[in-house]
Amino acid sequence: MKKEHSKAKKYGMVIDLDKCTGCGACMVACMAENNVPFKKDESNKLDSITWLRVFKLTNGKSFPDADTCYLPRPCMHCEGEHGHAPCVSVCPATATDYSHETGIVSQIYTRCFGCRYCMAACPYHARYFNWWDPVWPEGMEKLLNPNVSVRMRGVVEKCSFCFHRYQAAKEKAYYEGRQELEEDEYQTACTQACPAGAITFGDLNNPKHAVYELKKDKNAFRLLERLGTNPKVYYISTRKWVRQAGDNYLEGYETEGKVKKHR
Amino acid sequence: MKIDRRSFLSFVIGGAAGTALTPLPWKLTDDLSIWTQMWPWTPVPQDGEVSYVNSVCTLCPAGCGISVRKVDDRAVKIEGMAGYPGSNGNACILGMAGLQLLYSPTRVKTPLKRVGNRGEGKWKAISWDDAISEVAGKLGELRKDQSSAVAGIVGSDRGTVPQLLKRLLTAYGSPNFMCSPSMDDSYALTLKLMHGVSASAGFDIENANFVLSFGSGIIEGWGSSVRMFKANSALKDKKGKMVQIEPRLSNTAAKADQWVPVRPGTETVFALGLAYVIIQESLYNKDFVENYTAEFDAFRQMLDAYSPDKVAEITGIDAEAITTLAKAFAGASNPLAVCGRGQGTTPGSLHEFMAVHALNALVGNINKKGGVWAVPAPDYIQWPDPELDDIAQKGIQTARADGAGSEKYPHTASLLNRLPEVINSAAQSPVQALLVSGANPLYALPDSKAVKKAFDKIPFIVSFSSQMDETAQYADIILPNHAYLERYQDVPTPTGLQTPLTGLSKPVLDPLFDTKHTGDAIIMIAKALEGNIAAAFPWDNYEVCLSETLGDKWDALVENGFVAQDFQEPGWEGAFTTPSGKFEFVSKACAAESDKPVFSSVTPEGDEKTYPLILIPYDSMRLSNGFIGNPPFLTKTVEDTVLKGNDIVVEINPATAKDRLFSLNDGAPAMLSTPRGEVRVRVHLSDGIMPGFMAMARGLGHTAYDDYLAGKGANFNELIGPAEDPVSGLDSAWGIRAKLTNVPI
Amino acid sequence: MSTSDDLKTKKDSVEAGDGSGGFIILFFIIGLVASLISGWLLFPKLLYSEKKQPIDFNHALHMELVDEGCESCHFFREDGTYAGVPKLAQCIDCHEEVQGESPDEATFVEEYVTKGREVPWLIYSQQPDCVFFSHVAHVKGAGMDCATCHGPIGESTSLKVYEENRITGYSRDIWGKNISGIKKHTWDRMKMDDCAECHVKNGVNQSSVQTGKGACFVCHK
Repeated sequence: MKKEHSKAKKYGMVIDLDKCTGCGACMVACMAENNVPFKKDESNKLDSITWLRVFKLTNGKSFPDADTCYLPRPCMHCEGEHGHAPCVSVCPATATDYSHETGIVSQIYTRCFGCRYCMAACPYHARYFNWWDPVWPEGMEKLLNPNVSVRMRGVVEKCSFCFHRYQAAKEKAYYEGRQELEEDEYQTACTQACPAGAITFGDLNNPKHAVYELKKDKNAFRLLERLGTNPKVYYISTRKWVRQAGDNYLEGYETEGKVKKHR
Repeated sequence: MKIDRRSFLSFVIGGAAGTALTPLPWKLTDDLSIWTQMWPWTPVPQDGEVSYVNSVCTLCPAGCGISVRKVDDRAVKIEGMAGYPGSNGNACILGMAGLQLLYSPTRVKTPLKRVGNRGEGKWKAISWDDAISEVAGKLGELRKDQSSAVAGIVGSDRGTVPQLLKRLLTAYGSPNFMCSPSMDDSYALTLKLMHGVSASAGFDIENANFVLSFGSGIIEGWGSSVRMFKANSALKDKKGKMVQIEPRLSNTAAKADQWVPVRPGTETVFALGLAYVIIQESLYNKDFVENYTAEFDAFRQMLDAYSPDKVAEITGIDAEAITTLAKAFAGASNPLAVCGRGQGTTPGSLHEFMAVHALNALVGNINKKGGVWAVPAPDYIQWPDPELDDIAQKGIQTARADGAGSEKYPHTASLLNRLPEVINSAAQSPVQALLVSGANPLYALPDSKAVKKAFDKIPFIVSFSSQMDETAQYADIILPNHAYLERYQDVPTPTGLQTPLTGLSKPVLDPLFDTKHTGDAIIMIAKALEGNIAAAFPWDNYEVCLSETLGDKWDALVENGFVAQDFQEPGWEGAFTTPSGKFEFVSKACAAESDKPVFSSVTPEGDEKTYPLILIPYDSMRLSNGFIGNPPFLTKTVEDTVLKGNDIVVEINPATAKDRLFSLNDGAPAMLSTPRGEVRVRVHLSDGIMPGFMAMARGLGHTAYDDYLAGKGANFNELIGPAEDPVSGLDSAWGIRAKLTNVPI
Repeated sequence: MSTSDDLKTKKDSVEAGDGSGGFIILFFIIGLVASLISGWLLFPKLLYSEKKQPIDFNHALHMELVDEGCESCHFFREDGTYAGVPKLAQCIDCHEEVQGESPDEATFVEEYVTKGREVPWLIYSQQPDCVFFSHVAHVKGAGMDCATCHGPIGESTSLKVYEENRITGYSRDIWGKNISGIKKHTWDRMKMDDCAECHVKNGVNQSSVQTGKGACFVCHK
């Protein structure tokens, strides 16, 4: 048997907030791809499962100086220090894990027993708990994607960077006798869906991938970097107040308006 | 032997020890844990072979190329089709949620006949033969003395299905074929009056580098949304500029380089103010203005009333800002001015369209790279005129019920917005039978209450809807269409595209229910009516009709999904066929009204004392507000500052909220009333809305559809009435006076 | 050293209890044996229900007729996914008409081929929904034999009884025929530990931060 010797990858995302229109196509692409359930009332956003949630930021200024910006928030797939993401460190069930090979934080629903420590630990609110069993209206279960398992009541779920697409791309590569994937072979559903081309996805370690250069943009930032979560999702915004909002104003606070996040 | 406590305990201990030596406890623990991980009621999606079927989305006039992923015979996801003109590889949020419409529990699964009262929801399933003969029977009876009393309502008049319905009405003897109005009608009229051509407006936005938008939701669904998103991103990449003129900080305004919050209703004045500066500073395109336009002097004279100072007073925008903006616009190499509020679902003021279009003319960006093009209507439908019998001949001569084409509104083809008022004010409804296809007038027309009242006066309503929408609920007979992914349909040029394009929507899977293509249903009705009507439909079925109509394009359409016509920028030479043969800044059609200023603005309905605030609507990509109701995925993405529980949330400026007689905190409930209606709302304090105004999202407040949509929020159309545009007769209302009162406890 | 008094007292106390120390041991043994019997013999019978395949199938016979071994029927699609149990379309080429004398063959043609119905085969190695198993990674990537996990099924002349776990709903072959979970061959069990065992041995994807072993998102979805 051959051993796999592929260079460690670090999949990550760069989201251009100047291009993001807040249309929500990424959210629906994500829900359709990942069998995310829906309830009759989803207006309580605390229990509304959205692996990718588009937040609306406002600069807090009065009319007509008010400004808004949308910020799509998938799981940040934090690397922390050597893969010790906040959620991975606290999971008592080994249900969430960090892989050094892909840099992806996994969540195994059947392993999870619903203690929700990870949700408390995640500074990005990227994790969601299934308070109810998912229910599809009669006939609508037909559109479930077989590549992603359906979750049950009592477990935590979150964005997987569409890991099943990585698995599928690897299968095709094996079939064709390859080990390595091309950049376009593995793309998340949201990246593929974004009509504005605001999301770029790829291997942050690979100089041939677009994200490698984009993450070095002078306007690039990550959310709450100070916490040392070392997230793999970068944002770009030419607007200073947006970049400041990304770090909650706690360091280097400058008065450019009070920032609040819409829930 | 006596079994006492000790021996029993011994037995139990022995049993326990023995059990521990068997696999039972370990195996049982393992199995039970697996059982709890995989509840039998959690669905397990069936795996299978993956395939992709390309088609064209018909959920809105944008007509994007889609690629549907199937697992065996299930459709599991919709993605964009790479290479399709405009949308190239992407679909919008609604397009991607389309499978929830296909598999929706609110599909009409078989022909239905109403058995209870109108709107009561009591139906009897009937066979297709019975349904067709019932409809044909009713129509046949009516034809004897009142053939023009049959009306048809469609979404858009383009494409074979609406044209088949129009043909049915013509052969039957009725002129009353009506379309759901939109900004496309206003643009078509603008081109007719200023260019003298019958065409639709195409925007070469990809080649523009300065986009001046008069309230158009460039990134909120205006034009063809996916294409506009791409153009917006490209504009940013090439450091182009976008300026948004709008009273509310919409997404487009927030993403624009400059947001100009004019007082709503004064957009026309603002456009004329810009024109004033451009002419005054002599920044206009001399070649175009001198050689290809007429009435420039009259236009210039009229503009005297629109100096920056005056315009500043009316619009609330600083005079200097107006001058700077006008200079920047005229100074750009490819400036483009567009209008049509929000997604362009309402036609708006024709004067506003003409004023904005005059800006394009001033900078010579008409029929040129990066400008507005007059795009000829698709010409593939070349059916011979039907032979009309006596009844039909007489019938089509009758005046239209909606007044379109009358002396008052000679240029407009269809005025659906006037129909409810016409019916309500008549003793007997001029419409005795109504056929509705691809439209949901009971939801989408302004003043829903009046529309419902009008529908009550129509004795016979037939719906062709595949979904149980508001209009279908109110019908007498439903002849359900296939869902859009189950049928063939031609897709004419996407709205706003500058080159003619024909797309073909193909069935992605076999029909799930006992439904029939509306094209087939129309042909069947025609055949059942016999005589000349039947003879006007020589096709065996719709597919034959469609393939014959498309002729030599058919094979390419089936293969590639679209046929793009080689079409270059039309240029100026011979492009204008107005009475003067030139581009007309001031059309005679408008000038004819002597008692009105040539460019008028629309004031909102209601008196200021009773209704101190003004309510305006806004459009969102996450809320479908056409004839399609929101699928559950879309509603899930709606923010809680738009919908909270079942309450719609209206935006109000914190300063305005503070002025009220009672305290209005963020999220507080209130009653919102306008001269047309009253609804319960919650308020959201937003700095992005002009003080004195309130904004409400369109697309909520459905009474039909499932529990994921019905009863959520309020329908903006319940609160607003139509305002007839003096030139076009189309609806030009952009807002209505309103007030907020305390919620009665 | 004990005195006779002591002995007497002890004996008395035993007699005062249940008459004989033998009884206690006897009951202990009865309990022990009964539980051993029920645990080893009765429990497996109760735990699994036996289901028959819709029709019988002779793997050995087919193996003689095809060129590419298992992959002739259990093939990979072009996207690298594994097609699994053959669909009717693949059988139809040869089985349009009844071949041979077997009653199963006749049923197959009459009930399925002519009616165009897929055969509802029961799949012995069906994994839970949370498992992502890539056949192509093992067969093409690692060059493994089908038999390593599936055993010599290609040599079988008929299908064995399908035993379904009444609690989990899964096939008995996942846990293995041996109720104690002991395996002699690599193909005797298909539990996660069996996958992990081989992955650890071969150092496949040992990239987990939590365990230092295989990362979860290698075999799970």
